[in-house]
Amino acid sequence: MMSQASGYVDKPDFKSRIARIWVNVQKNRERYILVLPGLVWYAIFAYIPIYGLSLAFKKFIAKLGIFGSPWIGLYNFRNVFQDPSFVESILTTLIINVGRLIFVFPFPIFLALIINELRLNRTKKILQSIYTFPHFLSWVIVASVMINILGQKGLVNSFLGMFFNIEPISFLGTPSYFRPLLYITDAWKGAGWSAIIYMASISGIDVEQYEAAEIDGASRLQRMWHITLPGIKSTIVVLFILAVGNLMSGGFDQIFNLSNPATIKVAETLDMYIYRITFSGSVDFSFSSAVALFRSVVNLVLLLVADRVIRRIDGSGLLG
Amino acid sequence: MEIAKKKRNYNRHRFELLDAIILIILLAFATIIVVPFISVIGTSFATQKEALESTLLIIPKNPTIDNYYRLFQDPRIGIGYKTTFLILLIGVPLNMFLTTSLAYGLSRTNYPGAKFMFYAILLTMLFNGGIVPLYLLMLELGIANTLWSVILAYGVNTFYFIIMRTYMISLPEALVESAKIDGAGEWRILFKIILPISKPILATVLLFYAVDRWNEWFNAMIFLRRKDLIPLQLVLRNIVMDSSIMDSLSIAGPRIPRFTEGIQSATIMVVMVPVMCFFPFLQRYFVKGIMIGAVKA
Repeated sequence: MMSQASGYVDKPDFKSRIARIWVNVQKNRERYILVLPGLVWYAIFAYIPIYGLSLAFKKFIAKLGIFGSPWIGLYNFRNVFQDPSFVESILTTLIINVGRLIFVFPFPIFLALIINELRLNRTKKILQSIYTFPHFLSWVIVASVMINILGQKGLVNSFLGMFFNIEPISFLGTPSYFRPLLYITDAWKGAGWSAIIYMASISGIDVEQYEAAEIDGASRLQRMWHITLPGIKSTIVVLFILAVGNLMSGGFDQIFNLSNPATIKVAETLDMYIYRITFSGSVDFSFSSAVALFRSVVNLVLLLVADRVIRRIDGSGLLG
Repeated sequence: MEIAKKKRNYNRHRFELLDAIILIILLAFATIIVVPFISVIGTSFATQKEALESTLLIIPKNPTIDNYYRLFQDPRIGIGYKTTFLILLIGVPLNMFLTTSLAYGLSRTNYPGAKFMFYAILLTMLFNGGIVPLYLLMLELGIANTLWSVILAYGVNTFYFIIMRTYMISLPEALVESAKIDGAGEWRILFKIILPISKPILATVLLFYAVDRWNEWFNAMIFLRRKDLIPLQLVLRNIVMDSSIMDSLSIAGPRIPRFTEGIQSATIMVVMVPVMCFFPFLQRYFVKGIMIGAVKA
C-alpha cells in the first residue's frame, strides 16, 4: 500500500499513518471496551487451550504447568502412532461416520421432501413440532429413553415378543447391533431438525416452475424428483461436504451415552479414545495432547478441503 | 401477493393416493418418536409389579406416584436441580452479556483491529484445543471442582455470536448515527436502541443458551468431582447408566437391586419435563434462528 520506491517519502507517511490509526483508536475507545469482555473470554478459554496443545511437544510436569514444562520434540507422537488402540480408534471413527453419511444423511432430505408434499397444513405443523422436539434433549436423556425401551423388559422386546414371538434381544449389549443403533437413534433425534434447513431451501424454489411442469403434465412424483430435489441440490451439497469435514469427529455425546463395557470395542472412536486415555487410568497429559493436536489438525484439514470443494461447486465458500 | 395466491392455487387439489401414502409415512415416523416418550411416562407412573409383569406396558392400569416419591428421597435430585439452576442463573446472563456486547461491538468493522478480532473469533470454529488443555487450564486457574469451571468454559458460542451479529448488521445504521449525534455512548446505544429492536434474535439466542445450559453434562463430568455438585443430567446418567450396565452384561447370578425401571423413568421425566414446558416458546423462535444462521454457516 505504501510506496516502497523511496525511503525518503516513507518515513513521514508511516508516522502519519500511525497517528491516523491512533486518532481512530481514540475515537472508537468505547467500542474496544464493548468487545473487551468477550475477547478476554476467547483469549483465556479458547486461545490458551489452543496454545495448550503445545504440550504435545513437551513432557508435562504438573508443578511446571502448561507453560513451564520442558520441550521434548516429537517423542509423544512416536508413542501415539505406536499405540494400536489409537490406529483402531481412527478406523472405528471413519467406519461409523461413513455409515452416517450413507444411512443417516439422506433421511432428513427424504423427510423434508414428503413433509413439503403434505397438504394438510395444520397436521404439518403438529408433525414438525413432534419431529423437532428430540433435538432439544441432551444425549443423556435420549440414551436413557433408548435404554429404557430397548432393555430386556423394554417396549421393543415386549412388542417383538408379543407379535412375532421373538425372545428378548440384548440390543445394547450386542456389538453387531451397535452401529445400526447409532444410525437409528441419530435419525430419531436429529432428522426433524435437519429437515428444517431443507424445508427452508425448498420454500425458496420458484412456484412457477411447478405450475409449468403441471401444465406439461408432470406427475407429483416427477415434480418432486425433477424440480424440488434439484432446487435444493446446493443445500444438500453444502451439508454433505460439511459432514465429510466432520468425518474424524462428532457423535461423542451419543456414543459415550449409548455404549457400555459390552460394546466398547466397536464404540471407541477417536474422541472416546482421547477421553479414555485422559480421564481414566494412568494419565499422561502430553500423550493426550499429542492425540488431541492430531485430531484438531486433521479436522482443520478436512474442513479446509471441504471448503475448497464447495467453492468449486457453489462459487462461494463456507468461510466467506 | 401474487406468489402467495399462486401457491394457494397450487395447493388446492384433491386428496389422492400419494397423499395417503405420505400421510402414513409421516404419521409412522411421528409415532416412532412419540411412543418411547409415552412408554417412559407410563413406566414412571406404574408400580414395580406391573412393570415386571405386563407384557406391553404403555399406559399403567393403576397409576401411582410412588416412583416419584421414592426418587425425591434420593438427595441427588435436590443437588441436581440446585446445581443446574445455579449454572443456568449465572451462566445464561453471562452468555448473553458476552455475546451481545461482542456482536454489537463487532457489527461494524470500520475501526482499527476490528476485522482482526472478528477473524480471530471465527478461527476458533475451525481449530480448538479440545477438552484436555481446557481441563489443565481449569486446574491451573484453580477453579476446577467449582461451579465456575463449568460456567466459564462455555462463554460465547461462536455460532450464536454470528447469528446475532448478522442480525445487528441488518439494522439501519441511521439509528446509531442519530443517537451518536445526540451524544450517546456506545453502551447507551446498545442498551437503549439496539437491544429493544433486537428482541427476536435475543429471544432466540437466549433460548438456545438456556437449552444448552440445561443439557450441560460433559464439562461438569470432567471438571466437577464433588458429591454435592452434580448437574441434573449427570444425576440421570448415574441413575440410568449405572443400572443399565448391569443389564447389558447380563451376568448370571444375583442381580443387585439398584434402581427399578419405574424410578429410572421418573428420573428421565424429572429432567425432561422442563424442556417440554419450554418447547412451545423454543419452537416459535428456532426456525427464525436457524434461517438467519443458515445464511452464513
